[in-house]
Amino acid sequence: MTPVPEVLLVDDNPADIALAREALEQSRYPCRVRETVDGDEALALLRRQGRFADSPLPDVVILDLNLPKRGGEVVLSELRSDPSLRQIPVVVFSTSRSNRDIIRCYQLGANCYLSKPGNLSDFLSTVQMIGEYFGSRGATLRGE
Amino acid sequence: MGGIGTSNPPCRRRIFVVDEDEAADELTVHEVSMDDSAALDQRRRHAETLHHWLIEHNVCPCSPRSQAETALSQKVDELNRSNRELEQFAYVASHDLQEPLRMVAAYTQLLAERYRGRLDEKADQYLGYASEGALRMQSLIQDLLTFARIDRNGVTRSAVDCDSVLKEVRLNLSSTIQEIGAEIVAEPLPLIWADRSQLVHLFQNLVGNAIKFHAQRAPSVFIEAEKQGDFWLFKVADKGIGIAPEHMESIFAVFQRLHTRSEYPGNGIGLAVCKKIVEYYGGRIWVESQVGRGSTFKFTLPACTSCGNGRTCP
Repeated sequence: MTPVPEVLLVDDNPADIALAREALEQSRYPCRVRETVDGDEALALLRRQGRFADSPLPDVVILDLNLPKRGGEVVLSELRSDPSLRQIPVVVFSTSRSNRDIIRCYQLGANCYLSKPGNLSDFLSTVQMIGEYFGSRGATLRGE
Repeated sequence: MGGIGTSNPPCRRRIFVVDEDEAADELTVHEVSMDDSAALDQRRRHAETLHHWLIEHNVCPCSPRSQAETALSQKVDELNRSNRELEQFAYVASHDLQEPLRMVAAYTQLLAERYRGRLDEKADQYLGYASEGALRMQSLIQDLLTFARIDRNGVTRSAVDCDSVLKEVRLNLSSTIQEIGAEIVAEPLPLIWADRSQLVHLFQNLVGNAIKFHAQRAPSVFIEAEKQGDFWLFKVADKGIGIAPEHMESIFAVFQRLHTRSEYPGNGIGLAVCKKIVEYYGGRIWVESQVGRGSTFKFTLPACTSCGNGRTCP
């Protein structure tokens, strides 16, 4: 049986986390969701340091850009320069639609850049699409 | 105390000296001989003293004309800076405003969907107004962002064929054109040295308006351009509802609307965007119109002066 996809949400906005969590948990292909609220915490989880020593590695990271402490761009570039984490897909999910942010994130190695839709149903279906595509893909690879 | 000044006749450099007689409270000017090196040295020392004195007393040691020029250039710098700050402000504000607004929009929608029929009828109505307001504000901010971005970095100029711009506009508006049964007639248009996406924006807003504010079914829009000196004059004409004289200037302001949203949808930013684009290239935009007879929007864009036939190149 395919393992349940593990999704790591990195976002400092509790309202967005609640919406994304709901979308992912109630999707046709439910995911297990973990959340971290700043860049430092996200990197600690990914490197399984401190209280995250037993956390599984995520199948996909959904990363906001504007984060306290180390920002999204730093998280992304640290992830890409770490050989043991390099292959984890990262989807940047930010309010920003500026070309500068989009180009920069792809340069840093993001797999996908999606701006957070303003409309509720678009927001939910976008997050579900991320979970379905990247999450289940990673979980299937893990299961093999 | 004395000052020193020089003038440059073609043949010989002459030196004049201004002497201040404090007792008589008057200034006298006399020439110093170029051969009198001792007198010149003394004058030079006087000049330096005067210069320092002026600086110490916060007086600009230069002529009224150059003072005015300095003041003018300072004002220009100030204005440029304040413009940049304003644009930066609009840009940042629109970015940072979107985040909390998305929360309001998402959660009122969620509330309206999950609790519809479980509260009373009034509550459903209130939630409807709240989420409608949030969605409208989102689209206003999106428009403001578009407006603020117009002359920011990222403008790439090339020789743009306005015929192909219009082709793209027809494609973008195709569903509206079909739905309304509009006809767009255009004379051959020139090449313009500009940013292509901005020209698409410009033509699309004007053609879109010409169709939107139509008077009868199957409206037609006529587009032409003629060379006038260093500029191309473009005309976008319709036989639509027209604009009253008192509104002919205000329609180019941001978020200026003449009709309710239920009559004609839109945020009232289209013409402000057109104006900003045209003025970015040093052109002008205006409208000639009669209520009930139609409107002709006219704008100018610079033509290439180095090119004889007027088909523009850099």
